[in-house]
Amino acid sequence: MADISAPVAAPARRSGGFRRTFRKLPVTAIIGAAILLFWIFTVLTVQFWPMAEPLDMVGRRLQPPSAEHWLGTDALGRDVFSRTMHGAVWSIPIAILVVACAVAIGSLLGAISGFFGGWTDGIIMRLVDVTVAFPPILLAMAVAAMLGPGLTNASIAMVIVWWPIYARLMRAQVLEVKEREHVEAAIAGGASPLRVLRVHVLPLCWTPTLINATMDFGQVVLLAASLSFIGLGAKPPSPEWGSMISEGATRFYDWWIAFGPGMAILTVVLATSFLGDGLRDLFDRRSQ
Amino acid sequence: MLAYILRRLISIPFLLLGVASVSFLLSQMTKGDPLAALVPERMMSNPEIVAAVKAEWGLDQPLPIRYVRYLGNLLQGDMGTSFSTRRPVALDIAERLPATLELVIAAMIIGTFMGLALGLLSARFRGTIVDSVARIFALLGSSLPVFWSGLILLYVLSVQLRIVPGTGRLPPRVQPPPDVTGFYTIDALLAGNFPLFLQVLSHLALPAFVLGWAVTGIITRLVRSSLVEGLSLDYARTARAKGAPERIVLIRHALPNAMIPLLTILGFTFAYLITGAVLTEAIFSWPGIGSYAVRAAASLDYPAIGGVTIVGAVAFLLANLVTDIAYAWANPRIKVH
Amino acid sequence: MKHFKLKTGLAAAFVASTALVGQPASAQDSDTLVIARTLAVNSLDPSRAFCDTCQFYLTAVYETLVTLAPDNQSLVPNLAESWEVNDDFTEFTFKLKDATFADGSPVEASDVAWTFNRLKNVQASPSFLMEGLVSAEAVDAKTIKFTVEAPNSEFLNKVSAPYTGIINAEAAMAAGATDTAEDNAESWFLSNSAGSGPFTLESFSPDAELRLAKNDAYWGEAPGFNEVVVTEIKDAVSQAQALETGQVDIAMQIDPDTANSIRSPEIVTEVIPSYNFTYVGFIPAVDEVLTKEVRQALALAIDYEGMIDFTVGGNGVKQAAPIPNGFPGTADLTPRSQDVEKAKQMLADAGVSDLKMVAGYPNDNAYGVDFNIMMQKVQQDFSNVGVELELKPLTWAVWRDELGSGEWPVTAIYYAPDYYGSGQYVAYFSMIEGYPWAGRAGRDKPELVVNPKEAELYAKALAASGEEADAVYAELGQEMMDDAIIIPLVSPNLVLAYRDDIEGVRYSACCNLPLSEITRK
Repeated sequence: MADISAPVAAPARRSGGFRRTFRKLPVTAIIGAAILLFWIFTVLTVQFWPMAEPLDMVGRRLQPPSAEHWLGTDALGRDVFSRTMHGAVWSIPIAILVVACAVAIGSLLGAISGFFGGWTDGIIMRLVDVTVAFPPILLAMAVAAMLGPGLTNASIAMVIVWWPIYARLMRAQVLEVKEREHVEAAIAGGASPLRVLRVHVLPLCWTPTLINATMDFGQVVLLAASLSFIGLGAKPPSPEWGSMISEGATRFYDWWIAFGPGMAILTVVLATSFLGDGLRDLFDRRSQ
Repeated sequence: MLAYILRRLISIPFLLLGVASVSFLLSQMTKGDPLAALVPERMMSNPEIVAAVKAEWGLDQPLPIRYVRYLGNLLQGDMGTSFSTRRPVALDIAERLPATLELVIAAMIIGTFMGLALGLLSARFRGTIVDSVARIFALLGSSLPVFWSGLILLYVLSVQLRIVPGTGRLPPRVQPPPDVTGFYTIDALLAGNFPLFLQVLSHLALPAFVLGWAVTGIITRLVRSSLVEGLSLDYARTARAKGAPERIVLIRHALPNAMIPLLTILGFTFAYLITGAVLTEAIFSWPGIGSYAVRAAASLDYPAIGGVTIVGAVAFLLANLVTDIAYAWANPRIKVH
Repeated sequence: MKHFKLKTGLAAAFVASTALVGQPASAQDSDTLVIARTLAVNSLDPSRAFCDTCQFYLTAVYETLVTLAPDNQSLVPNLAESWEVNDDFTEFTFKLKDATFADGSPVEASDVAWTFNRLKNVQASPSFLMEGLVSAEAVDAKTIKFTVEAPNSEFLNKVSAPYTGIINAEAAMAAGATDTAEDNAESWFLSNSAGSGPFTLESFSPDAELRLAKNDAYWGEAPGFNEVVVTEIKDAVSQAQALETGQVDIAMQIDPDTANSIRSPEIVTEVIPSYNFTYVGFIPAVDEVLTKEVRQALALAIDYEGMIDFTVGGNGVKQAAPIPNGFPGTADLTPRSQDVEKAKQMLADAGVSDLKMVAGYPNDNAYGVDFNIMMQKVQQDFSNVGVELELKPLTWAVWRDELGSGEWPVTAIYYAPDYYGSGQYVAYFSMIEGYPWAGRAGRDKPELVVNPKEAELYAKALAASGEEADAVYAELGQEMMDDAIIIPLVSPNLVLAYRDDIEGVRYSACCNLPLSEITRK
């Protein structure tokens, strides 16, 4: 949940091209982007890396880090480094999916709400109000417990937690853009409301949503891991980061079991806040 | 502004109704059969016992009736009976709430002070290595999963170095102070037992730090940016021109400027604190609401899940209300949609 | 029983002296015994409780008629001073000692009768112990006579189970308890006790702490502590840490791996064989491909030796039938060994290929065995014979629920004895129609699993005693092995871990940890 109270105006045009935008980004944002690219690269290629399979018992149990097993072995003699890297295949796509669904559902409802107003707006916004009245983790826990533990259900729970943020964000943007001259002109010109929304309003509303989505990405990884940690998310033997930490928590004399997945989560969350900050500064500066 | 606050206040009961309804639905439309939590397995095949248990727990009534009953009971402060502790959920929660509040408040204090200190440091030495270190330390707090940082710190500080005691609110051998407020720190002082107070503090320190660290990031960022903004304002320039050292300018002139936004963001940090508290309590065996919630979710103790979500939502609503009012008070020209 | 001590490791090399609060062990209040474990208490009402914590709580607060001697086999007097059994094991008469309850009133035959009727009638978890009880009547104030409907040579052993601890009927009835199905005094027992044992309940807060106070009016020999605190500490490592820093005196759930990592010389760790075991259970009614031959083939696919290494670091033993080693009839049973080729052959003969199954099990750690680790090992062993097992770790409540609705054909759980005797295992695991596991495995198609020979043998066993009964239990054990519904995986060793100034810690098959025997040196 990034700070949504900071209004971010939309850029009027796409300008400068990728390279110039890139050069304007602060160095931290570039580091963040590089870390995220590394993890995406890992997700795509990890199965070809020359290392042990994450589910294979390759060594003695509970061995500390060594040249052979960089992050040691876990209680089943599996390579913790390999499991940490493969963990990305679970955590990253799920987070992308959750953010994408939350953005899609939230933005759609928010746009409808803001553009049409009236009772549609009332209903949608009351729904938003009630949903955000719950502390996110408690709502996610209750939903995940209701649907039954599992990664799919945990993802559904997280979408339920996150969509209202995007609904509010998009509604605020749409309300602002709606009052601009070219939109009023289009409406006066007799264009259908849906067309006005699609062609004249929405393209100007995406920037804050994208910045928020970048920053939320890390938070989703964090909450997914938290749910797995308390046993409501991924199931073993899948090398999900949260459940690996939970395994490590019961054997914390063998600290290396939890070390890798914890560092992995840390890098992802740090990277997204670096990148998100950079993007926000960039667009803030432009809009001024 | 008054109208805005009034509107917010009026909306509260409706939100609470919504919250209660969602909690009810969540606790009723479950995949699991609550009977599985109530009837011993060997008795499941005995229809008489199943019927008796259903009647005892009101599970034989249709959903709308249960809903009305649930709301009626809630108004009287009755959240039902926990399936697993067999005690009223309200009692369970009341017993555990002080532990959580003590942890959250301690974390809030630690987080605020660390945030202020780091914000001051990084504003004073902005652009230097001190600035970077302070900001990275603050950012780490909000990026680390508390259930991992808690674990690592517990391992290093408690198991390896033995600087801090282990988990829990007090060593099991020690009798807690006589119960007045439920806050062990306050109760120990009220009882005039200073050594016990120190012991309570030493147990509180690590979990409160771990949790407080999680909100340090937001606070540091806010304090730093308001200070930097304040330093560029006219009165700061004037003070500097009069020869006041940077340190004085920062504390006398820029810091007050940072306090109002800080006030408004404290409610916002509450969301982080609740999330963090659930996980911190799990790591530190803290007998509060968070560990109760985790246990309830794991054992499909629906009355308990419902109770915890309602209490959490009420706390969250109140925190947000206070924030909004503070925000409205600080920015009287706030646009109200 | 074999007792051997683990090396407790090197002296802590880098114990920092800056401990803020980790007080030295000598500063302990010697009057309080502190025990670390997960409480997981389902109830403190003797007629409804059914958990490991309940076993030793009830033993300390309520007393049974007879109890199990430290040899874990012979029965010795407790509240009863003597007893008589008729020739066909249907009538049992006990003479009571002159004992008193904590409130000073005498323990009388009417209390005993009331307690047993209540246990039977409230229809809660431990009520199965009194199935077949026809009557419990007070012959006179100090004589109680039980009649059971069929010969039951194990009745005496059942009477040593802590759930049969005698309740002060008057005190309980004053609080609204009854000995009928209408009883609803369960919550009263959460904050009160009404027993004759050496301790009384002081306070209980769920998932946090159970406090016992010495019963000052105890009729027998006073216990070694004024107070016993059972404090909730979840995992083995935290328990070990609390033990090392002197916060607790005894840690009850240390697994062998963790015991090996304990460095403090002040900690005594004894590793002893236990009567607990974990097992895989097949449910053919959910997937009928699980015929007896297929089940036996799968049982041969499991690497039992490796299982013991993986789950408990080698600190456990194999077990043949679902009756723990050392119980009547188990001496001559041979545990299975892995035979992958034979398993493959049997599966091929049965025409099974590309078998895929789901295993649902509680996501739990029982007696040091992490079920996720255990089931991942099973998964791997099954994959060696071409059977794909999908794992579904569940919370307890969901597991119970899904077991009831038949969601998956494979499961895994654990079992601990309630008293010494093999009958309880037959009554739970055998494929006799109407018995718990026959019901689980057969569901609405009992013909898939029921083994009529077992019912016959069980009746025979209950009508016999001594070596004769042992021989019948051995046959029963063999039948249950051949059924291959229950596949015992590991009987984990138990770690008794306590500070070196504590004496008298032992493991009891009925009562877990007899608190009254523990003293500080």
